Amino acid sequence: MSISSLVLLFVGGTVTGTIGAMLGLGGGVFLVPFLVLAFDLPMHQAIATSIIAVIATSSAGASINIERQTVNIRLGMVLEIATVTGAILGGVTANLLDGEILRKIFAGLLLIVSIAMIWRLKMRNGDVILHTDGSLPGTFRDEASDQTVAYTVKRLPPVMLISLLAGNISGLLGVGGGIFKVPAMTMIAGMPIKAATATSNFMIGVTAAASAFIYFSHGHVNPLIASPTILGVLGGSLLGVTISQRIKGTALTWIFAVLLLAISLQMYWR
Amino acid sequence: MGDYSPGSKKVDVEPSPVSSRLVERWTGLVLRLGVWGSALLIVLGLLTSWVLPPESSASTEIPSISTVLGEISSGSFGGATLMFAGLILLMLTPFLRVLIALTAFAAERDWKFAGISLVVFLLLVGELVFSLR
Repeated sequence: MSISSLVLLFVGGTVTGTIGAMLGLGGGVFLVPFLVLAFDLPMHQAIATSIIAVIATSSAGASINIERQTVNIRLGMVLEIATVTGAILGGVTANLLDGEILRKIFAGLLLIVSIAMIWRLKMRNGDVILHTDGSLPGTFRDEASDQTVAYTVKRLPPVMLISLLAGNISGLLGVGGGIFKVPAMTMIAGMPIKAATATSNFMIGVTAAASAFIYFSHGHVNPLIASPTILGVLGGSLLGVTISQRIKGTALTWIFAVLLLAISLQMYWR
Repeated sequence: MGDYSPGSKKVDVEPSPVSSRLVERWTGLVLRLGVWGSALLIVLGLLTSWVLPPESSASTEIPSISTVLGEISSGSFGGATLMFAGLILLMLTPFLRVLIALTAFAAERDWKFAGISLVVFLLLVGELVFSLR
């Protein structure tokens, strides 16, 4: 592999990691299309690379969120039973499917994500109804509102079911699955969005690890591709978190939602 | 996100139990060590493969797990093996995180969550054994 390919993978990882973190999506949604469309990588290798990148960004982010006490560790452990089970099934299924089929399923996922991104904008602007009579209580200091927020978790079974689906998609397509879990945790379980996002991010590393060795054992982890890409994604995700605190995200979300729609079509028709 | 409904409570933060704080501290430490340790190995692997002589360019062949382990145990390994070792450390970091949680909940005598952590850990180990068998 040439130096130019190495640099391109690193830069691509940095850009996709930055955009993913700015939009709160994780890198996989942009990384897999980059590796497939720009680098002509087989779908299974692109997914395997993305899964390891998800572990890196989740682990780095979770260590920060744990210090901020926004992660509900007990809830995360409960939901991980569902996400890990789903991810193992997803990883096994993906390795039975042809790359062409996976590419078309991924195109469908991008379509859903682009719609969900716009829908999430409306959700962010509304009030979150918190409950104090559920289970698995959590408390954190919200610096933006200078408030200490206390909450409990309601309606756990449907959230577990959605987590199973999110884990399955993670193992099948190499994304984090937060786009499904965060709305479930806020709208169904009644968690504040900061705690939901931090807990989802905490979980996706373990979820991704559940399918990582399945791809590894099938020879889909190419260290020469994965190494520079993951370093880029890791740096990009840290950069993205910093940038996202300084810019207003509404216009940006619209731009990338439309971009994802275009990538979705390109992934489907390629 | 600063909008919370009237249903949210403004309360004084109760200090976490010592053991819970230990879970958080250990978990954070394991995650940081895993990520930055693996990043260091990957960087060393890339430098060994591309920058240091005599290799001017790296092979695109994917080494097998037995090759990697064999090279590490013999002490003579190249850049690809270092990169692979970094990636394996990264993939194993979540396993360690769950193991830490299991240990901490057990030390706390919180058997319900120790049991939940054990189920997650067994699922992960089962998948690992199934994959590498």
